[in-house]
Amino acid sequence: MLTYEGVDFYDIESQLSEDEIMVRDMVRDWVDEEVIPNIEEACREGHFPEEWGQALGEMGVLGMTIDEKYGCAGMSYVAYGLVCQELERGDSGLRSFASVQGSLAMFPISAFGSEEQKMHYLPKMASGEWVGCFGLTEPDYGSNPGDMITRAVEDGDDFVLNGAKMWITNGTVADVAIVWAKLDGVIRGFIVEKNDAGFSAPEMTGKHSLKASVTSELVFQDCRIPKNRILPDVKGLKGPFSCLNNARYGISWGAIGSAQACFHSAKEYTLSRIQFKHPIASYQLVQNKLAWMLREITKGQLLALHLGRKKDDGSWIPEQISLAKMNNVDMALEIARMARDMHGANGILDEYPIMRHMANLESVKTYEGTHDIHNLILGRWITGIQAFTRDL
Amino acid sequence: MPNIAVLVKRVPDTNAQILVSGDRVDLSNVKWVMSPYDEYALEAAMMHKEAQGGVVTAITLGAPECDKVLKDAKAIGVDRIIRVWDDSWSELDSNQTQMALTSAVKEISAEVVYCGKSAADTGAGSTGPGVAERLDWASASNIIGLEFEDSGIEVIVPAASGNARTGISLPAVVSCDKGFCKPRKPNVKGIMMAKRAQVEVLAAEIPASGINIVSHTPPPQKAPGQTFDGATNVPAVVAALRNDANVI
Amino acid sequence: MSETVVIAETKQGMLHSVTAELVSAANALGSAPTVIIPGTSDSAAAAVAELAGVGRVIACVGDCFSTYDAASWAKAVDTCAPAGIVVCAASQNGKDLASRLAARRSISVVQDVVAIDGSTLTQPIFSGKAMQNIVLSGDAVISIRANTFAAVGEGDGAEVTVMNQSADIATAVREMIAKANERLDVAEADIIISGGRGMQDPVNFVDLERIADALGAAVGASRAAVDTWDEIPHSMQVGQTGKTVNPSLYIAVGISGAIQHLAGMRTSKYIVAINKDAEAPIFKHADYGIVSTWEEALPILESELKALLG
Ligand SMILES: Cc1cc2nc3c(=O)[nH]c(=O)nc-3n(C[C@H](O)[C@H](O)[C@H](O)COP(=O)(O)OP(=O)(O)OC[C@H]3O[C@@H](n4cnc5c(N)ncnc54)[C@H](O)[C@@H]3O)c2cc1C
Ligand SMILES: Cc1cc2nc3c(=O)[nH]c(=O)nc-3n(C[C@H](O)[C@H](O)[C@H](O)COP(=O)(O)OP(=O)(O)OC[C@H]3O[C@@H](n4cnc5c(N)ncnc54)[C@H](O)[C@@H]3O)c2cc1C
Repeated sequence: MLTYEGVDFYDIESQLSEDEIMVRDMVRDWVDEEVIPNIEEACREGHFPEEWGQALGEMGVLGMTIDEKYGCAGMSYVAYGLVCQELERGDSGLRSFASVQGSLAMFPISAFGSEEQKMHYLPKMASGEWVGCFGLTEPDYGSNPGDMITRAVEDGDDFVLNGAKMWITNGTVADVAIVWAKLDGVIRGFIVEKNDAGFSAPEMTGKHSLKASVTSELVFQDCRIPKNRILPDVKGLKGPFSCLNNARYGISWGAIGSAQACFHSAKEYTLSRIQFKHPIASYQLVQNKLAWMLREITKGQLLALHLGRKKDDGSWIPEQISLAKMNNVDMALEIARMARDMHGANGILDEYPIMRHMANLESVKTYEGTHDIHNLILGRWITGIQAFTRDL
Repeated sequence: MPNIAVLVKRVPDTNAQILVSGDRVDLSNVKWVMSPYDEYALEAAMMHKEAQGGVVTAITLGAPECDKVLKDAKAIGVDRIIRVWDDSWSELDSNQTQMALTSAVKEISAEVVYCGKSAADTGAGSTGPGVAERLDWASASNIIGLEFEDSGIEVIVPAASGNARTGISLPAVVSCDKGFCKPRKPNVKGIMMAKRAQVEVLAAEIPASGINIVSHTPPPQKAPGQTFDGATNVPAVVAALRNDANVI
Repeated sequence: MSETVVIAETKQGMLHSVTAELVSAANALGSAPTVIIPGTSDSAAAAVAELAGVGRVIACVGDCFSTYDAASWAKAVDTCAPAGIVVCAASQNGKDLASRLAARRSISVVQDVVAIDGSTLTQPIFSGKAMQNIVLSGDAVISIRANTFAAVGEGDGAEVTVMNQSADIATAVREMIAKANERLDVAEADIIISGGRGMQDPVNFVDLERIADALGAAVGASRAAVDTWDEIPHSMQVGQTGKTVNPSLYIAVGISGAIQHLAGMRTSKYIVAINKDAEAPIFKHADYGIVSTWEEALPILESELKALLG
């Protein structure tokens, strides 16, 4: 059996440590053996295979940057990035699962939770026994979560939550939801559990994208949770945004995985497809496209790796993550579209991974800060003037 | 509780393209992996430990770049990792290799040694039986079945008239084919253990080489494709597969 | 030139025909070898003595030869064999014994030799992707690949000496079990025989299976076969949307050679195609193409292989 060997034109591998390479190869092999042969069926049926979540737990990649004390691996952000890359080469929905579990659900508990919360939730989430989700977006507040409606009020020994979240990855299958809601007008994080009274999480259906990922609404109708479920150590938008920084960073690697899958397929296809007597890869227009893909993937890899090293030494700023997420998803989506074209009619079939990656990347472009919201973040950094709203 | 050794080797990935430049193979651009059959040996060693306790030591022979296969073994869960090497060594012949590995096996007082049935680079399969002979131990080669017993092990080895279910008392060297187990995969925790693990480096006394590698050459060129008309040519094709292509 | 010694290959007590090739290899090394024939009796020794180019024959007789046990075989054979370059067959047991013998004598072992030119021996390395040429600097044990040396013919009859040996058997065969006829997975196999829509009916895959059994091969299929017949599972499919395989021999039967099929098997070392249509694209990629129906070709293929491989 021929094994997949990534695109590595600039020998990025020489910049990785031995353990980073080992983790990447572990996930790469698993994706080849378990995910790629089954992903189309999962998409067709519109479900996320439960055993994949368990396998991620067994491999130990869920929340893998968190301290070993909590049953996690304490690995580098570069290693985490490589895992995202390999998972998303399989499917963006699979990478989304890991991003949400690690960066959006486990990370806030580890960064802002009490010691009891950490000991209670993190080991079971690391092993994949408990699935987490992250509820920030609301039907009326997407790019602008600061104006969210969901509210919590104190009532004796409890908090009572009311409101609704939308577009929540893993919501229906989650055991643990990190929910951002306003308490006395200030955004706070709450841990809601699957069986809490007044909480429900119906699945959203009809997606043309991320079909192998569960997307849900979270509904809170006088949902009552004990007081010790608030994340004590963070107030305001800083809470959700610090989670998003980690997830966005992972996406900047994940997109490279999708792009590599599309490039790989386009290369193989154009080398074997004969038109006008010769392989279409022998024509200049096609080579131009392949060269462009390689160029963009290589730049994206260098961007992600350098950002990863900065994440690891703590010298990063959020705007750098915005640039990487925006750039790499953008290039991956363009590569997917171009690869679709190069596959001709075959490109629309689910026999090839192209159209699936292309459709997935449309979601990836939108979630975790839309492409243009990241432009606005960079615009503010460049000019010092925020352009999100007209009130200057 | 047995002291269990497993011999592992770093080899080019079996899908790697092997180029000959000048009079030597050029391996500067190949991807290196643990020799595939060694993965089964490693699994056998881990199964042995699970059945009877003890300590599993992975041993390789080679320069520092071979540490990676030991780390791979460590990530799977072996207890100790040992590399046998002396900086004055270069290409070792079978005699030297076996002497070096034998001294490591003695050093750790192993009672059972697992290895792959052959390494993917040489394809020779000499190491297991050779080490056994030097230790004056029993051996079983190319096993396709393995059970653990109080006083030894039971293996299944292919023989001319079927498969032989064979009892072996320890100490013994066992070379492993695939088929009797599914090698376990590492996980992140194992990889972190491997990162921290120290490779023990052992030296050994070895004899002079008994061979001199004169050159490496590309394999004989394949003949251009031929098409034969009619089933009467089947015997000619079978003969060609046997004698020219050497694939059956 | 030091003496050469051949360890005759036996199969269930009988002389194996490859021994005549080993004698030929020993002759290429420059001398008429002493041939050691291990066995529980000397009954096969006469057949060895009749081979041309043999110096003398030693029947190494002992109870330990009733089943293969590496340690006792090596010990017994070692006692009978004079010093020199020892030549064995590169069979499973031959290579094992060669390793043991070399280790006993603290000399090198060189496996899978395919050519001898003066003092230079050639062996394949990296599964045949390169050849290694070596010269020996002393005695060694070498194993010879079958079919690489022309077998010697009949000679004048060499002298036979019988040497009785005994050695403790270190391993005990408890039971012989029939080889399980489990089908190999195409992704794992070194030889694959695949059928396509041209097989006409899934029951005809039995013909492919019989050949696969003779070769130790896996049975694969084209997409058209998998899609048309429920009996042929997707796990057998080779190609773009099936498995990508890289065997040393791929035999395509009733497969047209569509680009998506080629995508999965093009890198096979040798490709044989059996197809009734001389224009089928598969022939452009085949090392050996046979224009014939499978109904005619497969029975001949099966009987040829069975004759060859026993
Ligand atoms: C599959 C999927 C999974 C998701 N999972 C989660 C999850 O797990 N948890 C969670 O909390 N959320 C999740 N989301 C929600 C996601 O984060 C939001 O969709 C995203 O933040 C954008 O919000 P919106 O969809 O409301 O779009 P809007 O904010 O309404 O944006 C619509 C368009 O307007 C543009 N726009 C908005 N404001 C401006 C401006 N000021 N200037 C210029 N252009 C502007 C945007 O760039 C975009 O093009 C998910 C979304 C999807 C599709
Ligand atoms: C997106 C996509 C992915 C695909 N993926 C794969 C894949 O993974 N694997 C794959 O194999 N295909 C794949 N295909 C299908 C591929 O295009 C071909 O349709 C398929 O390989 C044809 O299979 P075949 O050669 O068995 O059948 P055919 O093309 O019908 O050929 C049958 C052959 O049998 C010969 N024949 C008939 N009777 C006899 C006889 N009695 N004796 C000898 N020969 C006979 C005929 O001459 C003919 O050449 C894919 C197609 C698409 C569009």
